[in-house]
Amino acid sequence: MNLIEISNLDVTFGSFANTVAAVRDVSFNVAAGEAFGIVGESGSGKSTVLRAICGLAPVTGGTIRIDGQPLKTPRDAGFYRRVQMVFQDPYASLHPRHTVDRVLAEPLAIHGFANAETRIEQALADVGLGHGFRFRYPHQLSGGQRQRVAIARALILEPKILLLDEPTSALDASIQAEVLNLLDRLRSERGLTYILVSHDLAVVAHMCERLLVMQHGRTVEELTRAELQGRRAQQPYTRALLVASQGYVGQTPTLEKA
Amino acid sequence: MTDLLTVEDLRITYPTRQGPSEVVRGVSFALGRERLGIVGESGSGKSQTGRALLGLTPAPGIATARRLEFDGIDLRQASPATWRALRGIRISMVMQDPKYSLNPVMTIGRQIVEAYRTQKGGAKTAARDRAMAMLEAVQIRDPSRVFNAYPHELSGGMGQRAMLAMMLITEPDLLIADEPTSALDVTVQLEVLAILDRLVADRGMGLIFISHDLRLVSTFCDRVLVMYAGRIVEEVKASDLANARHPYTQGLYTCLPRIEGSQRPLQTLQRDASWAL
Repeated sequence: MNLIEISNLDVTFGSFANTVAAVRDVSFNVAAGEAFGIVGESGSGKSTVLRAICGLAPVTGGTIRIDGQPLKTPRDAGFYRRVQMVFQDPYASLHPRHTVDRVLAEPLAIHGFANAETRIEQALADVGLGHGFRFRYPHQLSGGQRQRVAIARALILEPKILLLDEPTSALDASIQAEVLNLLDRLRSERGLTYILVSHDLAVVAHMCERLLVMQHGRTVEELTRAELQGRRAQQPYTRALLVASQGYVGQTPTLEKA
Repeated sequence: MTDLLTVEDLRITYPTRQGPSEVVRGVSFALGRERLGIVGESGSGKSQTGRALLGLTPAPGIATARRLEFDGIDLRQASPATWRALRGIRISMVMQDPKYSLNPVMTIGRQIVEAYRTQKGGAKTAARDRAMAMLEAVQIRDPSRVFNAYPHELSGGMGQRAMLAMMLITEPDLLIADEPTSALDVTVQLEVLAILDRLVADRGMGLIFISHDLRLVSTFCDRVLVMYAGRIVEEVKASDLANARHPYTQGLYTCLPRIEGSQRPLQTLQRDASWAL
């Protein structure tokens, strides 16, 4: 049973003559408890897919179903109880003048949760931040700590689905390992379903069972982790990405520009 | 080979309420016409080091050094006029994020032309042709569109290439690239690196490549300085990085996930207080 079904999704920005088709005819399914990766260059529409699921981008065609139900626009509160998003840049996604406590209390208030006190303490403990962080402002936290707060904010509503938009690309390699371990642990403890967007194939290979490669708003191909690890990609674009992930090898893989 | 740049005992201090805090503590290195990588985490002082080489330590920070020489010019007591003759002309710097380093209210073309004419003067049309050629040299497919575009109209990769074009149009001897590709996609990253690589090879430019990405630096640079807490903890030949001796370098290397499959959970860096001493 697929938890998330996306079929023939189109997202178009702008109007009249001045339109940009950011996502064109993208389809994929994600089973409950699975981690699904979306890989592509910037402008490939990978983040837009996540934003479209969240209701932050205009869906102009196709359907998004969660639990078999097509999503309503605008999304209702029940949707955000089940689906939460972690954004790329923890420097931009936390309100600079709200304390961690207030960041975490707001979703609880919106959704009418009881015992906010214990939930906030628990959420901080879950992401490995102690009590001492609760009344700090974002500028008093390091990048890794901020991203933990962003993850805590998303998880405090106990969602089933977490949409992760480049959750570690703003972080140092050593901190990235910690955040990836945290996400991995939370998924196995709580049976979460992830859609992880990243430009880093190694991160996706580590985290996700299956992945979708996107370019120019279209699907290039869908791979399993085993296919990725065995470098059995069919499409030249995916092969170029695989070469690129090894670092600088003296020559640029030729990319087909459309 | 004569050294292009010599740095001895560079220290950068910021006053704080708890007394002065040293963020760079005695960094020394020499650079020829080669690719030198500086790797470290955020807060390790690598960007501060890069900025100090251009005299751009932001106030109230103070940079001191026993020796700081670029091509025989002592940079420690350099006058504003000397700096003007060096910055952007003989030493250029590319910053991490093109969103913040480009002027948002000027078109890309005007900014490049301005950079060129400040140094070389000459007619606008000549500068314009040169700028177009430079945009092409950094592999921009549609130079005339980019020339007339504002920074917000470009993607990160495009913006960074435009930035590179602007920095390289004056044909500097030394380029300090502070995380020039961190905001870019892997494939674009390689294209930008290929451009840099060609410039180092063809024009004999010196390059200081500051990055947190150990894997990238190890494949791109000739030598790597690993910084931790304001000090150079290790200098390794890039090809030997896998056999680095310092536990910090090893930790940085092993905490990266690998496509071929990595251990679960990933190894995390166990910091040792003695490294920071």
